[in-house]
Amino acid sequence: MNATSVTVAETIQWDRPVRGRVAMFGLIAAEAAIFSIFVVAYLFYTGKSLTGPMPKDVLSVPIFYTICLLSSSLTIHLAVSALRRKGVRGFAVWWFATIALGTAFVYGTATEWHRLIYHDGLTISTNLFGTTYYSLVGLHGFHVVVGLIALSIVMALTLLGNVRAEHAERVDVLSLYWHFVDAVWVVVFTVVYVIGR
Amino acid sequence: MALETFEAPAGAAQTPRTIDLPAPTAWPIILAFGLTLVFAGLVTSVSLSILGAICAVAGGVGWFFDVLPHEKRESVPVADGVPTVATSRPQVARVEWITHELHRARLPLEIYPISAGVKGGLAGSVAMAVLAVLYGIVSGKGMWYPINLLAAGLFPERWTIAQISVFHWNALIVATIIHLVGSSLVGLLYGATLPMFPRRPILLGGVIAPILWTGLIHSILEALDPVLNQRIDWLWFVISQIGFGIVAGIVVSKQERVRTWQYLPFAVRAGIEAPGAMDERNGENRQP
Amino acid sequence: MSSDSIALPRAETASRPLVDALHGWVTTVDHKRLGILYILYALIFLVIGGIEAGIMRIQLMHAHNDFVSPQVFNRMFTMHGTTMIFFVAMPLVFGFANYLIPLMIGARDMAFPRLNAFSFWLMAFGGFLLYFSLVGANGLYGAGNAPDVGWFAYAPLTSRTFSVGHSTDFWTLGLLVSGFGSIGTAINILTTILCMRCAGMSLGKMPLLAWLNLVMSGMVILAISPLTAAQVMLLVDRYLGGHFFDTQAGGSAVVWMHFFWIFGHPEVYVLAIPAFAFASEIIPVFSRKAIFGYPVMVAATICIGFIGMSVWAHHMFTVGMSSSANTFFVLSTMAIAVPTGIKIFNWLATMWGGKIEFKTPMLFCVAFLFQFLVAGLTGIMLGAAPFDWQLSNSYFVVAHFHYVIVGGILFTIFGAFYYWFPKMSGKMCNETLGKLHFWLFFIGFHLTFDFMHIPGMLGMPRRIYTYEPGRGWDVWNLIVTIGVFFQALGTVIFVTNLLWSYFKGKAAGSDPWDAWTLEWSTLSPPPVYNFASIPVVKSRRPLWDLKHPNDPDWKYE
Repeated sequence: MNATSVTVAETIQWDRPVRGRVAMFGLIAAEAAIFSIFVVAYLFYTGKSLTGPMPKDVLSVPIFYTICLLSSSLTIHLAVSALRRKGVRGFAVWWFATIALGTAFVYGTATEWHRLIYHDGLTISTNLFGTTYYSLVGLHGFHVVVGLIALSIVMALTLLGNVRAEHAERVDVLSLYWHFVDAVWVVVFTVVYVIGR
Repeated sequence: MALETFEAPAGAAQTPRTIDLPAPTAWPIILAFGLTLVFAGLVTSVSLSILGAICAVAGGVGWFFDVLPHEKRESVPVADGVPTVATSRPQVARVEWITHELHRARLPLEIYPISAGVKGGLAGSVAMAVLAVLYGIVSGKGMWYPINLLAAGLFPERWTIAQISVFHWNALIVATIIHLVGSSLVGLLYGATLPMFPRRPILLGGVIAPILWTGLIHSILEALDPVLNQRIDWLWFVISQIGFGIVAGIVVSKQERVRTWQYLPFAVRAGIEAPGAMDERNGENRQP
Repeated sequence: MSSDSIALPRAETASRPLVDALHGWVTTVDHKRLGILYILYALIFLVIGGIEAGIMRIQLMHAHNDFVSPQVFNRMFTMHGTTMIFFVAMPLVFGFANYLIPLMIGARDMAFPRLNAFSFWLMAFGGFLLYFSLVGANGLYGAGNAPDVGWFAYAPLTSRTFSVGHSTDFWTLGLLVSGFGSIGTAINILTTILCMRCAGMSLGKMPLLAWLNLVMSGMVILAISPLTAAQVMLLVDRYLGGHFFDTQAGGSAVVWMHFFWIFGHPEVYVLAIPAFAFASEIIPVFSRKAIFGYPVMVAATICIGFIGMSVWAHHMFTVGMSSSANTFFVLSTMAIAVPTGIKIFNWLATMWGGKIEFKTPMLFCVAFLFQFLVAGLTGIMLGAAPFDWQLSNSYFVVAHFHYVIVGGILFTIFGAFYYWFPKMSGKMCNETLGKLHFWLFFIGFHLTFDFMHIPGMLGMPRRIYTYEPGRGWDVWNLIVTIGVFFQALGTVIFVTNLLWSYFKGKAAGSDPWDAWTLEWSTLSPPPVYNFASIPVVKSRRPLWDLKHPNDPDWKYE
């Protein structure tokens, strides 16, 4: 499943990795490098703000929305498995659940930012904490939104009846990206809400 | 993206008349232009960003329909006249000045066993000790003088000539250990490096290496053994080192060489059962 | 328009309207055309960057010169550095990789042909955006147009306070856009090499060029991304009032340095490894021997890739890091000399006992060997922190890294031009003009960059606008400037040679150098589909096997 093979002569079995997967891993490596720079900046600047508000005063841990995002990894996995078993209907249901969970997470971030900006008066230019916090969480949120757009396009195609079992491999490549976005949230969550608070 | 179409003609005996290739498309350049304009808007005006965004969306949608549901491809006719592969140099010469009959040998073909280095080092240590004691006697400071000097790093309280010239049992033990360990290690080094200079092992082992070694010691001796550094006679030191080197070099180069296993495949050297891997010379059974 | 990307005979191409031809080029997804676009784009910027260097050297020719104003001088060194790295060296590397890799691994195109086109145009538009600053960067009066903060744009010079107007933003955005393109191309090259090899070409049988470009693309993915992240932070600082690099609000200027050099030093190897790749293909062919120590070459390259990611802070010894950090970066910098030394010995061993032909490509590669060695030696000197404290930010450093980039990288790229031009155009390059180019450039290079070390050791700092007479710098600066004219003349002859050979050169045939890799088994220039039937290989030198059926390579590998 991870390799295409072609029999060239009678003897040589010729295996190579699938392009989409390799490219997605390349993209994930690049994105991971970008995120690590932002994470390093966040950690380095933790506690270096000259003025308030400080993280421990204003941040509350978004447990519920974190559970939403992380469980969406499970639902997208179930969706792809369903598609592999030719269960397009099951795929559509699980895929929709993934989008719903991702949207809930974005909603959670939006409400948190709204509270921080209008209630606590923390903007990106207030202090170092604001700069690093909005950059890191915003970068992650941007990736979630991009992922949601891609998932929604697939959802639309599914509803139009264009996604079939033979597309499972490509859909799986997209799910790799979504898993990556979830894994990054684990790091961001640890850095922002556990270490940095 | 239709992987199978890439593989289909592989190994085909006859060339096809046409070949399918991805069709040219303008959407990537439009998407790239749009994205650039989005960023350019930051330094010019927002309207440019909006125009760029429109371009980018158009490019993205266009690109999408280039690839989905089916990749757009075009048929290209195959040109006549596939070039024949031929050379103007059919003769093959061998580079043979080291490995007389072996082609593409992995060097070195033979090395000295580890025991050769140790033996050479120990033999050299005897020669060096004899020369050093000789120096003590010739210079009139007594045969214990060089031994005490070698151990002086551990006994900083003994620093006058009178103290250094007489017998100390603990200094003898320390000096013997330093001497034997140092000699064995240097002997090992000779054993490892001598195959790289197959033509004149004694010159390297006997002269060049001791001089380099002396230079190294000269620069770090102050830190290792300040008492020795103050009193050392560098001429005699070099003479003893050369004595060591010549004896060690002779002993090492007299040892039987053993063949390296570098010509064997890695799997065999690593002890992995790999049927067919040993069948190197006729190569038919080796597979990618 | 479907017939546009077919390699038609030139006479027919010329008879079509220009618009049609141009349309064919902008809509192409063919890796060969995109490779040529990359290379032409880089050549144009090479001339622009060279003119900027020339302006600086004329300004520094003698003491108290005022050929240009100090403001223009600052813009010149900023634009020169940025252009040469991002819009000359990178596109040259990518161009050759694009052109050669599918041909060498027996594929019909890159893994993602449309992404390939997209990445090229992003890089191209990024360069145009940067140069648009010359006319478009309106700021306060006298705030200047082109970026003038140096090619590594240290904070806080890039803050709104010290860089009013939009010049720095043009620099940031231009590099950001072209950086996206670079990452796209790198992913494409990586995927192509891993997934598009023809049957029988296992990883251990790939040409070294493919191996080295695999490592290069991995490094681009891991090195350009931090630059992208840092540029985004700089944009946040400049546009949204962030404080990443704002020392007044607790931010740190040193963090920018780290982030920049985490990109900046791997970048050197991103450029150098493809240069090694060209040398590894050219030297065996002109020595008539197989490459010496193929597995060790691969291992050394991977080693360089790893160590190269962990040496960045040797650019920052003078900043005042902790002594343990200094020690680490000194040691890692010294360690990288080991795999590089292995490579140099392997090239020498390839030549040793061979039947060497000193054609132009080989001349450039031999010069590369010695010049790169010298560059590495001054690199070890500067890698020792105490030495660096003396000479950091002096002309010694400038001489060192130009020795790497010009003496090492550019020389092999010239070699690659002469070696693969027959494949790309179907015409041979003129040997006489090629040799003239080599010697002029060689003399010019050594006049400029050998003697540039000396004012550095005499204390001349880099990036100064002018200097007092009587410091002992005058005569060296004059010699350095004279060398630039030789290099410029060499480049003019190079371009003349390319044009003359393209129109008037004699036909090359498919395999003019009697070489051994797959690209020489197809027509010159290759048809759009590369290979009518996909080849099957059994060894690292498939064409050797075909040419010497009684003595094939696969018996020994």
